[in-house]
Amino acid sequence: MLEFVQIAIGGLVVGSMYAAIALGFSLIYRVTGAINLAQGGFALIAALIGYTFGVAWGWPLIVAIPAAVIATVIAGVVLARFTFVPALARLSNANVLMLTAGILTMIEGFSLVVWGSQPYATPPFSGEQPLAFGGITIPTQAFWVFGATALIIAALWFLIAETRLGKGLRACAENPAAASLMGIDVPRMTLFSFGLATLIAAIAGVIVAPSTSLQFDTGRLFTISGFVAAAIGGMASFPGAIIGGLFLGLVTQLSTAYISSLFSSAISLLILLVVLIWRPQGLIAGGVARRQDTRDDVKAAGHAAKLPAHLGWPLAALAVLVAVAIPFAVTDNGIMSSLVIAAILFMALMGLDVLMGYAGQVSLGQAGFMAIGGYTSGYLAINTEIAPALSIFAGIGVSLACALVLSVVTLRLRGLYLALATLAFGLLIDSCAVGFIDITGGPSGLVGIPSFSVAGFTFATPRAMYYLVLALDIVILLGLFGAMRSGFGRALQAIRSDQMAAAALGINTVRYKLAAFLISVTLASLAGSLYAFFFNFLAPEMVGTSRSLELVAMLIIGGESTLVGGLFGALLLTLLPVMSAPLAIYKTFASGALLVASFLHLPQGIYGVLIQLLTRLAGARGEVAAKVNPVSDRVQAS
Amino acid sequence: MSAIDTQSQANETAMLSVRGLAKSFGGLKAINDVSFDVRPGEVTALIGPNGAGKTTVFNLVTNILARDAGRVVFAGRDLANLSPVEIANLGLVRTFQSARVFPGMTAIENVMVGGHRLGRHSLAGQALWLWRAREEERRTRQRAGEMLELVGLSGFAGMHATELPMGAQKLLEVVRALMAQPKLLCLDEPAAGLNDTETQELANLLRAIRKLGIPVLVVEHNMSLVMNVADRVVVIDSGAIIATGTPAEVQNNNRVIEAYLGKEDHGAS
Repeated sequence: MLEFVQIAIGGLVVGSMYAAIALGFSLIYRVTGAINLAQGGFALIAALIGYTFGVAWGWPLIVAIPAAVIATVIAGVVLARFTFVPALARLSNANVLMLTAGILTMIEGFSLVVWGSQPYATPPFSGEQPLAFGGITIPTQAFWVFGATALIIAALWFLIAETRLGKGLRACAENPAAASLMGIDVPRMTLFSFGLATLIAAIAGVIVAPSTSLQFDTGRLFTISGFVAAAIGGMASFPGAIIGGLFLGLVTQLSTAYISSLFSSAISLLILLVVLIWRPQGLIAGGVARRQDTRDDVKAAGHAAKLPAHLGWPLAALAVLVAVAIPFAVTDNGIMSSLVIAAILFMALMGLDVLMGYAGQVSLGQAGFMAIGGYTSGYLAINTEIAPALSIFAGIGVSLACALVLSVVTLRLRGLYLALATLAFGLLIDSCAVGFIDITGGPSGLVGIPSFSVAGFTFATPRAMYYLVLALDIVILLGLFGAMRSGFGRALQAIRSDQMAAAALGINTVRYKLAAFLISVTLASLAGSLYAFFFNFLAPEMVGTSRSLELVAMLIIGGESTLVGGLFGALLLTLLPVMSAPLAIYKTFASGALLVASFLHLPQGIYGVLIQLLTRLAGARGEVAAKVNPVSDRVQAS
Repeated sequence: MSAIDTQSQANETAMLSVRGLAKSFGGLKAINDVSFDVRPGEVTALIGPNGAGKTTVFNLVTNILARDAGRVVFAGRDLANLSPVEIANLGLVRTFQSARVFPGMTAIENVMVGGHRLGRHSLAGQALWLWRAREEERRTRQRAGEMLELVGLSGFAGMHATELPMGAQKLLEVVRALMAQPKLLCLDEPAAGLNDTETQELANLLRAIRKLGIPVLVVEHNMSLVMNVADRVVVIDSGAIIATGTPAEVQNNNRVIEAYLGKEDHGAS
């Protein structure tokens, strides 16, 4: 019993942290209708700055901690002013969510550059000596955590309920259009709520820092836990965020203690998926219903860049020729390997483009299917006599089975909640990859996967693998191109831009969305298997959630709903770090920054830019150029 | 020969037969015992003042809203428990009040989406570039081009649908529905937001559709359009039908005049 109480107190400490981050989510969601995944990143940055000030530079904690919080809030507000706030006016909420995932990646990359990848520990505020009550010992930092969380909750409640400013925030939450007509400066309120949420995250970060170890990617864990907590409790509700946070803290600590630390996050994610099926709005419905009648999907549909018809086939032939000739020009094995990786990722990207670019279904869990495919075929290739090609099909089979189960959840959800569910799925697969040690090899990975071979020929060298993947890419591209330029692709695009109007023309929206999903899953699984065969090795982080986010970044940077756009994103993000070793450390930062910049300034991606250049060169006067910036002229809501 | 027959007896000869339709939102009776028919080859107009429940009737007929009571029979088939998609695939195709063209697609692509339900296109056939799938695609594009020509929108074919003028978008939506070769075309306020010339074009289009033998059910505000084009008019007020008949009959009906202008002794408020 004593032990249980001890663990429960630990759970409440962690839970308070989750609750604070979750409060930030709720605050921004209520005011803007969007979700800001960068929350946990700010908590981490505040903690790391606190470390630098307090430990590295030796400032007294009483100065260092507030200074770290203030610095973080300033950074957050500046960042929001140039990314989040303008994005809200142009992008759909699901795209804003992905943009904030980009901001989180940027923060991670920034931390990696400044603080490196080693872990940090900060000293507790009031000494190491814990307090003892009977048989229960409580570290003094726990009281700081409880106190700070209680203070945050009380201050937030007072601000929202009792002040003029709070009234303004509530007005923005209920109806931004009407609020702006009443003279409330909505962008300023948005910025204010963002700053407030950053403040909460920063305080939570510095307070909790002494009881956890900090690393450049800890922010992701903060974000995920806070996000899961907010989603379980109810995204639009402050009490929901608090209860969700405490509940999640208790569940993870108790399951770590009594089941296994490897499955504690899997359990919380399963709880989240159950909540999403049973009550998508969370356990506690928000006091304010956001207006849902404005058509968010209008903002979702941009115009894809299109190649002038007469240039299409000649350029495609030229591209294939170049691709075939590359291995004769490239002698560097490192570059050759990156080309293979880019070509493998391109496969998953084509699938993601069908799902996201054409059908408009957000997926932040695509690498989960790479993991299922890769681990299934890797495990079979090591432990059985089965031919590698068959093991790939087995992987696809398992992936499709998981996808069908997941689709029970996802087909009912749209936009934000769909992004949430796919993210939860990806994280669930992450923790399974770490947890099922017997099959996956756990955190240290699955070793000894043989190279891919078919009919006695082994694709052992990067060059052989390159030609194999290239051939597959071309076949898949041709097939998808045929489908996307015909009725199938049109039906998907119709669904993306207006589900109800599509249904009224007899398009079975459920069936088409499912088909797009299964295509993307098949290709992700295939890519995952090839990835495992190519490396002869597979570890959780190679096909984890950061990979999912990277795939989204590659697709957006390259250009959505073009099929080939993803290739440019994949080449850019895999080749740059290899070509120039000093750049490698900036890779994470660059992929985040490029994602954010593309969302805001290059809605058609690199592919769109190339097409514009080509069209201009070919003298076809500006047919495409006239549509350079199709999203900027759209108003936010009516 | 009254088409209205408050018994739940569906009219066998009608294309669409609505009987005893009812819907409440909370305690409010939005639609109360609405019955009417759409006969083959005719343009039937559903009119009424703002908030009378016209669009709600549309949504109840196409099962976008679930009805509390009533029966809807289309071409001899009871529509109970069918999804909007299944209803569309039976040939009852509707448009929406605000022009809902597909953004991100060109005008001709929009029209081609209308041809979706007629396509034999299997995903495999398209992915393998089978000759038949390419041929079908070519035919769909050609037919869509002809449709655009019919309403004088050929010049817009390659433009993004959302860049078309409002009137053109409305026509585009009607043509897109027509592309689906409907057995009954239901138009929800097609003239809303159109200027006089555009309304005239719409009237011509409706007449052309009738000439093709496709019956039309149109919810409309614009009286001159209704009086010009409709064969029969159903007037609805406060969720109930107050009159049916030819345009001339309805125009002189006292209850209709009352509903639109208010009772005389209360002033025209």
